[in-house]
Amino acid sequence: MRQRSISAALICLALLGSANGEEKLSMSDADRKMYAELLESNPAEMDVAEGEQLFGELIGTTEYAKMLGVKEKELPKYIAGFPRYIEPAKKVVTLAQSVQMAAAYAGKPVPKLESKEMVKMSAYVKSLANGQKTNIDVEANAHMKEMMTLGQQVFEERRGGRGLSCNNCHSKEIVGRRLRMQQLPDLGAKETAAAGTWPAYRMTKSQMVTLDKRMQQCMKNALMAEIPLGSREIVALEVYVTNKTKGNPINIPSVKR
Amino acid sequence: MRKVLMLGLATFLSAADLSQVIETPDATAILKKDALPAARAYTMIEGCVSDDPKAIARGQYIFHTLNGKDAKENPPEGLTRLLPNGKPKQMGNCVACHNIEGAKGYGNIGPDLTKYKELYIDSGVRNAQFVYQKIADPRLDNPKSVMTVNLANGLMNEREVCDLVSYIIAPKK
Ligand code: HEC
Ligand code: HEC
Repeated sequence: MRQRSISAALICLALLGSANGEEKLSMSDADRKMYAELLESNPAEMDVAEGEQLFGELIGTTEYAKMLGVKEKELPKYIAGFPRYIEPAKKVVTLAQSVQMAAAYAGKPVPKLESKEMVKMSAYVKSLANGQKTNIDVEANAHMKEMMTLGQQVFEERRGGRGLSCNNCHSKEIVGRRLRMQQLPDLGAKETAAAGTWPAYRMTKSQMVTLDKRMQQCMKNALMAEIPLGSREIVALEVYVTNKTKGNPINIPSVKR
Repeated sequence: MRKVLMLGLATFLSAADLSQVIETPDATAILKKDALPAARAYTMIEGCVSDDPKAIARGQYIFHTLNGKDAKENPPEGLTRLLPNGKPKQMGNCVACHNIEGAKGYGNIGPDLTKYKELYIDSGVRNAQFVYQKIADPRLDNPKSVMTVNLANGLMNEREVCDLVSYIIAPKK
């Protein structure tokens, strides 16, 4: 509430002092053109295609469904509900962690979360849910409730070199404002649909990036220590962020700035 | 279907193993090390605010720069691009949230600090100590502040915060 108010009268004065007007937002015309081109032919489609092949060789959807204990034809809807509690894990896992389990289940070497193969495979697996709506259920059981609570705590905790939290830049009060020339996205909004749109081709990184990696990039920018992939805390963050965008359609891979 | 699977002993055993193969590094130590001290009051050191053009130049540089490594311009006397340990010196990047005289590509998350002396200091609504505390740790007078913490966590030293105060409350062209 108090955030921007010095006092009503002072604000009026301040406004007089800031008649400089709006400057251009962060995307230059060249960037905008490139973004449009990427939407036409998304380089990450190739990664997803490679992911399909890798996944087929390593596990296959039949084995994967078996490991999860669901019917193969129910996979899309089920995948749209990650991160979720799964019985063989006895805890809440991300899609990538479920792929690790499925590899072991199929008697194959378990790919590292950081590996290129895993990024491609998890993108492919998530793309099976394209057209579905993100349907995470944070009330499903005690495990999910606990992770949701932890996720919110990690999201709101100020830390690191600048004492920032995720919430400092992504709270309801602040979205739409500009950090430098960068519009702060509303993670839960339809047009952002953060959970349903990652893995995405990230233009500024010239590569496909997963949601947890994207969150790590925010941490790095804000001088927060990066929370390692697979840790309880990053899974919890993914639960929390995904829940914000619940109900939005899944569309993998998308293109992001 | 799951019931059927769980009945098979082999599957049961492998299910037990499956929870073991998931990568789950422990992040608690990382987060503990990264934690922020509780908000507290900071008092300006003697001679903190200065009209020395060099101090004001440093404050200006810290205000408008993200870090010393990527900065286009060389830092003024008394500031370095890198820290003694070779890491980039982090600056204030205040312009990410605040407009002020001469700001380029400023954000609009924080209040506009243009004409700060005339509007806020000369009018008596604010003083240097307030500005100092705000930069050192903005949580004290506003626990919900989204502004960065600068002194409490060691991002800056006392003199650098003083330089910023000197710059913000200096008369500008
Ligand atoms: C200093 C400001 C700041 C902080 C702190 C911050 N973010 Fe961000 N975040 C941004 C900006 C700006 C963007 C959009 C960047 C872009 O469009 O390139 C963004 C984008 C994102 C996105 C992608 C949204 C999309 O397009 O789908 C996610 C997810 C995200 N942030 C999560 C987090 C999490 C989790 C944290 C904390 C660990 C965090 N952010 C901390 C500024 C911040
Ligand atoms: C992430 C956004 C952000 C950054 C970065 C930031 N500020 Fe702020 N600042 C704010 C907000 C929001 C307020 C108003 C809320 C409050 O008082 O805490 C504020 C308030 C202030 C005020 C008090 C204005 C008044 O008279 O009430 C001063 C002075 C100030 N900032 C200076 C700085 C300086 C110097 C830096 C860089 C070292 C900086 N800010 C970085 C967001 C930011």
